[in-house]
Amino acid sequence: MILTGMQPILTRDPVMPESETPLGRLEEVVSTPEEFDRVVSQALPILLDRATGYTKQFLRETGQWNDDIAHEKFVLRWGAEYLERFLVCGPSEIPCRPLFLLDSLVAKQHSRPEPFCYHPDLFTPLGRFLDGLMARAAISRDALIALYHHCYGLGPREIIAATGLNGSESQRIYKNLSRWRDSGWQRTMDEAGISEVELKDLLGQQQRSRQRLDSEAERIIRFAQAHYRKSEPDHYPCLSRSQWEEMFSQGYGCDYRIWHLALCVNCMQTAWGLGTNGSMTVEKPEVKLHVQP
Amino acid sequence: MAQEHNLSDYRARLLHDLQVGGRRSAGGASDPVQVFINDRRVGLLNRGGTETRFQLISLAHIDSVHLRSEDGVMLGGLSAPECGYRSCRIPLSGDMIELRVQNNPQGGSVNAIFIPAHGLWHRAWQTLTGMVPAIVRRPPSAIIPGMRAVAFTQMLLAVAVIGLASDRMTGWLTSEHAAPPVTPKEAPWAAPLAEVTKLEQQLSDLTRMQVKVMETIQTQQQGMTQIQRTMTKLSSTQETVVSSVLTVKQEMEQRRKGSGRDMDRVKRLLMTKAQTEQEQLEAEIHSLTVANDRLSKEMENLEQNNLDLKKKLKSAGLDVSISTVSDPEKSMVARQAEVNQPTPSPQAVEARPGLARPSPTTFLVSDDFD
Repeated sequence: MILTGMQPILTRDPVMPESETPLGRLEEVVSTPEEFDRVVSQALPILLDRATGYTKQFLRETGQWNDDIAHEKFVLRWGAEYLERFLVCGPSEIPCRPLFLLDSLVAKQHSRPEPFCYHPDLFTPLGRFLDGLMARAAISRDALIALYHHCYGLGPREIIAATGLNGSESQRIYKNLSRWRDSGWQRTMDEAGISEVELKDLLGQQQRSRQRLDSEAERIIRFAQAHYRKSEPDHYPCLSRSQWEEMFSQGYGCDYRIWHLALCVNCMQTAWGLGTNGSMTVEKPEVKLHVQP
Repeated sequence: MAQEHNLSDYRARLLHDLQVGGRRSAGGASDPVQVFINDRRVGLLNRGGTETRFQLISLAHIDSVHLRSEDGVMLGGLSAPECGYRSCRIPLSGDMIELRVQNNPQGGSVNAIFIPAHGLWHRAWQTLTGMVPAIVRRPPSAIIPGMRAVAFTQMLLAVAVIGLASDRMTGWLTSEHAAPPVTPKEAPWAAPLAEVTKLEQQLSDLTRMQVKVMETIQTQQQGMTQIQRTMTKLSSTQETVVSSVLTVKQEMEQRRKGSGRDMDRVKRLLMTKAQTEQEQLEAEIHSLTVANDRLSKEMENLEQNNLDLKKKLKSAGLDVSISTVSDPEKSMVARQAEVNQPTPSPQAVEARPGLARPSPTTFLVSDDFD
């Protein structure tokens, strides 16, 4: 069993009074944003371990925990997510006790039906890669546009044609993909905890049995997309061909098309060709995994 | 072991990213900012050289508002109150985003305002001018020259000080050089005449510049004095207007009170009149009631009398029939009695069935006087 960093929570300097330890100060009331930032910045490792510990406890109690490196990284990743939100929203909750505010934030997240996307298949290297991409696409436009490339192998011109963009919107596609190539992809891999060894392993699988990997990827992508599509507004449902056709012909719903088509394989195939009035020579898109940007 | 190392590296990287925060974004200064409400992407706040806004009204309760760059880095946010209003300011590479969120029982709303860096001064000025009442607010362009004049004056003063210092230093140098009277033979190091002339020229230029600077300073001071006078006048005007407003308010208050008193008096008169009429009506009703009672009693008495008469008549009728068969004298007496009896009412006679009305003619025919 791999030990996480839970021990710093329990370790205290026996000489220093409790109120002066980082943990002690976290339990006291802070009254100003500056005080909050000061107290919290000195105790980030403690807070990360606390949020990670609660996430692990949640997985244990819901029967979803396994003692492996993938699960350890999973709880670390979500602990960092919770902590990031705490750092941003905490100053607006003053006066407060930072430690218990973090506890309440994590508890609120875990009280929801699906606090994060969990499936056993998402703990394989392929699953973690795709989960990292989808999770990133839910919060990053760069990653969202990059999904068209990683899932279907589309280039910028094909993305513009598939989504029916024009003008300044199409210029943004180039910018998004460029930034993704430069820094976004690597940052996503780092934040998802995917090592170079795992990436090489994926590339090796792709070379050995591409079709099998693509069909496995499609299965995982559909599952993950269903979860992360909930990050869209409620008015972004799946549409029929005629409804997509009307949207493309009338020229409205630009964001709708970009966000939904990237996160829905069915609608991507349904609306294929509408952006170019059916003049696209490429066949309907199928899931073809591209690991590199 | 490798896995533990991998895990600790991963943890260290996450901690580093948390410490760096929004600074790790690779987005440009003009890239739009994504707005997330309750972890759902709802729109974009454009950035550029001008102030831009993003507004959204939600029918659902708002829990949190997050701002992220296009590459997904968290830039800021706040958690919304259960009910009420909360705001915060998020610095962003010299610019600022002002975020406001409000919740009420019907839902919530979010306002995000992007304020570019140079706009901060403009907003600060607007805030300052906002503290002055609108009636005495002057356009900023009228007072900015004063601030510019102050800055220019300070600059000129600095130049003047430098000029004076250089002048003084030059004077010292020339005085040092001039102190010992030396002949050209004895002072082969003396500057040639051209250089001296040049120095004199520079001195005169500096003197002229100094004079000009002083004149400019005086002009600026006069301008500042005028501005101060204008400000004084404005403040006195403001006080006058405020006092006028107070006077008008007082008069309005008095008029309101006066009209209130008049209204009260009229109200009292109307009430008194209504009460009087009401009393009169009550008296009439009372008198009518009394009369009604009296009439009812009279009716009862009359009915009683009527009944008594009926009884008497009935008994008188029987006696008459008996006396007609047996005793003429009795019949005479009966006749007499009958004559003395009041005439029975037709109703009472008719009420006796089977009994013929005693006719005086019949009675007389059957009399034994024959």
